[in-house]
Order: sequence, then structure tokens, then C-alpha cells
Amino acid sequence: MIKARPPMTSTTFVPESGAAARTGGLPVPVATVAAGRRRRWPMIVAAVLGAALVTMPLAFGMFSKTPKGAVMLSEFHPFMTTARLDGFQTDIRQIDAAVKENKTSITQQFASAGVTRADLDTRFPSLASLDAQWPTINSDMTDLLNKVQGNLGNYQAIDALPSFRLFPWFFAVPGVLILGSAVVALRRLRLWRPGRWAIAIVGIGLVIAPAAFQMFQRAPDGGRMMSSFKTIETTGSVVKIQDYFATMASGQGDLRLGVVPALEEGGLSGSQVAERFPAVTTLDRNWVRILNDLTPMIGAMSDNVPNYRAIASLPPFPLFPWFFVMPGLLAIGASLLARDRTEQSYNQQQGES
Amino acid sequence: MRKRDTIVAVVVGLSVVVLAGCSSSSTATSTTATAAGRQALVGTFRLTAGTSTASGATGTYFRMIQPNGTLASGPYFDNPDSTATDKSYTLQVPGTAGGLVTDRFQPNPSPAFDASGNALAGAIVAPTPFSAIAFGISTDATDPQTGKSVPAPSISFENGKITGQLESWTASWNKLYFNQGSPKPDGTSPGLTSPVPGTYDSATHAFVITWASEIVGGPFNGFTGYWHLQGTFAPGN
Repeated sequence: MIKARPPMTSTTFVPESGAAARTGGLPVPVATVAAGRRRRWPMIVAAVLGAALVTMPLAFGMFSKTPKGAVMLSEFHPFMTTARLDGFQTDIRQIDAAVKENKTSITQQFASAGVTRADLDTRFPSLASLDAQWPTINSDMTDLLNKVQGNLGNYQAIDALPSFRLFPWFFAVPGVLILGSAVVALRRLRLWRPGRWAIAIVGIGLVIAPAAFQMFQRAPDGGRMMSSFKTIETTGSVVKIQDYFATMASGQGDLRLGVVPALEEGGLSGSQVAERFPAVTTLDRNWVRILNDLTPMIGAMSDNVPNYRAIASLPPFPLFPWFFVMPGLLAIGASLLARDRTEQSYNQQQGES
Repeated sequence: MRKRDTIVAVVVGLSVVVLAGCSSSSTATSTTATAAGRQALVGTFRLTAGTSTASGATGTYFRMIQPNGTLASGPYFDNPDSTATDKSYTLQVPGTAGGLVTDRFQPNPSPAFDASGNALAGAIVAPTPFSAIAFGISTDATDPQTGKSVPAPSISFENGKITGQLESWTASWNKLYFNQGSPKPDGTSPGLTSPVPGTYDSATHAFVITWASEIVGGPFNGFTGYWHLQGTFAPGN
């Protein structure tokens, strides 16, 4: 709450004031300068603007939400590389190849020994379940990975911004500076000009910051990533992926510990199995690595559902640069409008002469 | 007048303190009385290896219930590496210490995993293959998943019934840790997490302890581990 100071009634002379200096050394009454030549309302606007900047992160819950965004970006970091994402796609393709090989050549191999598909399904129920669910799993997992891979650039753009943890402070600190400068200027008239300058400098900083951080490009990229992840970072989606994981793990176990030994019992040597069924052999050989790869990714997806929700509840990312620019322009405008009229008229006179 | 007020205030204050003291001492007495009937079991709960049965398994085993499942009917995560007929049962064999020790920790070794992510903790139970990667069990003073300090396992019995806390019970697998204690390290019992009930025969020292603990966080968030420990208690450390 800013209280307007009562108008000055005394006529104290201050020969060292800037106005006096420009009038050839003649003393100028403070009351005249203060009450008559300075607009108070732009400074009041600046104070309100500062207060709004301080309040904004609190109103949006940014102090609690943006650290969650920082955690999310940090936990996604190990997975958001071309090599890692390509690796996940390879994992899924290897499982796909093994499932198809099992349905075709391995089934034919057993058929030649008089073992039907129905027999195999009874003997290896987890593999039968994987077979049945695989088209859906494959489609959903590939779609998920494509979505994530498609957002690699968007992720990198947003990851290149300053830490999310700092964002509330990017509003609060300029807000405090503007508010403080305005209040000081309103209360101590001799600090009017430094106050104006401080507000102008902070305003310029606010206008420049989004450009300096390339926020006009990066924030919309982040917005696109958030939109794409809307269907991924949900409890339902995570539970579905966990379910797929369980099906894949159990089905692969039947292949590794059931089907391959059965083939060997049927007379094939280990090398013959490897030669005739390369996809299953490759999957078995790589399975532990695939688990090492996929499990932490599922963990990161699962752990970040609440973090995603927190960030998604903030205003849309593309608006963020404007949250800096608009207050910055207002601060600059307020600072200009709060100029000393003596200065203005003096400058005008100088211009006319 | 002021002096008299001060005396009255002091007398009233002292009365309140004395009454509060009486009240708390009577509470303490009842707690002690309760504790007198309950006996702590400090020593080693020597485990009997799990074996497959027609109805599932007996001895020491573990099952993992999928999210939104129930203890009674699952659905369960089938462990393809299980030696049981029903792959939803993962049979376990005692570790180097013979089983679970109470009143002290049986922590993870360092390192806790080999290069493939197989757990190396083998004091309580031997590392057990679970979908191609071995998992281990430990009890650590600092829960490795949450980073919270937890108490050492404590179990007691009264009239043949076991109760206790196993907050520090942790499964390690694939370079990840899953707190499987009850209650959880923050003292809560989310989802299907159940207390630690069981039976104890003080004549034969035979025991059965079962509990369920929901996984909070990580790739198996929302899954629930069901633990069935069976064996003979050996008092003393």
C-alpha cells in the first residue's frame, strides 16, 4: 500500500538541485519541483507493477511447481539423446523380430515334430500372451518412442533455458527492485531520478532477457513438448507401459527358458538354433541389456507424472517470454513518464533555441 | 493484591503440572503392562527354502501383484525364471546369514550390483533370478530408495501371534532399489501394504511371517510385493 505524501508547504531552497543548476544557479523551491514538476502516478504504476511481478510466481505456485519441472527435465536427461532413443527403437524392433520368428519359423519347426500351435500356447502361456498382445504393444510402444523422439529437439530447446528452479526468481527479483525503487522515489524525492533509472534498467533487463535466452523460440518448443507428453505422462499410460513390460518380460522368459531348450531337446544344437532362429537368439543375448535400458526409462516416466502435472498447470509456455517483455515495457514507460518536467521543459527550450 | 494473584497462579500451575504427571505415569504403567505380555524376538529368523506345491508354494517365497490387483487374486507378475510350477511364485533360498536378523541391519554390500544389474546382497536370501536379473534383499539403516533413516527390523510375539516392523526391508534389482518394508520409511502403509503379521510357536520356534508392501516410485510403482517367510527362529545374535 503506497501512501501519497502530503504536498510540501515550505519553500526550502536547494541551490545544488539539478533544476537549480540548469536555471543558472538560481535556487529552486523543492515544493515547486516536487509537487509541480513531477508526475507521481507513473511511479505508483511502477510500484503496482513491481508488486504484481512479486505476486505472480506466488499466484501461479511457481515456487513449488518449477522445481518439479527442473527435476523432470533432469530425470529425462539421460534418455533424451539420439543414441539412447534409437536404442529403444532397436530394442522394440528386436522383440518384434523375435515374436514374428516364433510365430513363423519356430512354429513350423515344432509342427514338423508334430507339436501344434495350440500345444505350444498351452506349454508356454506367457509367450502365447505376448503373441496375442504384441500388435497392440508394438504399436503403442513405437508410437510412444516416436513421440518422444519427435520431441527431442523441443526437449533440448527447453533444457537449454536457465534452470526451471530460477524462473520464479526471474519475476520476484525484478519485482522487488521495481517496487523498492518506486517506493523509495515516492518517499524520498531526492532519490526520484535514481529510482527512475533503476526502474528503467530493470525494465530493459526484462525486455532483453527473453531474447538473450532465446525464449521466443525455446518456450514454444517447450509448449509443443508438453502437449505431446500430455498423453504419455499420465498414470494410465504408465500403468499400461508397466503392463506391457510385464508381458514382454514373461514372454521373453518363455522363449529363453522354454522354447529354446525345447528346440534343443528336439535335436537342434545351440549353434543350429542360433543359425536358424537369429532373431530369438539376438533377443535372448540382448535381453539383460534391454532390461537395463527400458526399466529406468519406465521408472523416469512413472516418477515424473506428478512433476509433469505440476508444470502443465502453469500458464502455457509460449506466453512466458511475454511475461517478461510486457512488464519490462511497462516499467520503461513508467520511468519515462515519471521524468522531471523541469528537465523536459528545459530540454524543449534547449531544442527550440 | 498482585502478590496474592501470583500465589494463586503458582498454585494452579503446580496443580496442573502434578495432575499431568499423574496422568502420564498412569499411561506409562498401562504401556508397560502391555509390553510385559509381548516378547521381543531378537535373533535370526532362519529361513526354510521355498518349494513348489500343488496349491502354489510353501517355505520362503515372493510374489508381485500388478497395479490395481488384489492380494487374493492378483494379477501377478509371472517370473519366467521362477523354479516353481506357478511362475507367480518366486521361490527363495536362505542367504549366508541363514535368514533375517532382528535388532540389527543386514546391509547391501558395496558394490550392490554387478555390471549386468544382478544384485549382490545375499545375507538374508540368496540372490534370486527375476526376469533374467537376480534380485537381492537387505536391511539398511538408510533406505536406499528413499534416502530416509529407518529402524532395524524388530519382531515380537504374544500368544503365538507375531507383530513387528520391517521398514528397512529392501529389494535390489537391475541397479534399482525398491523399499518393500512395512510400514514404509515414512510410516505410511499405501495401497495393499499390510502390517507384519505371523505366527510363532514358542516350543518349536517355528514361525511364519507374511506381509505386503506396495512399491512407491520407479518402474514398478504401484506393484505390490507379497512376502512369505517361513522357518525356525534362533534366539541371540
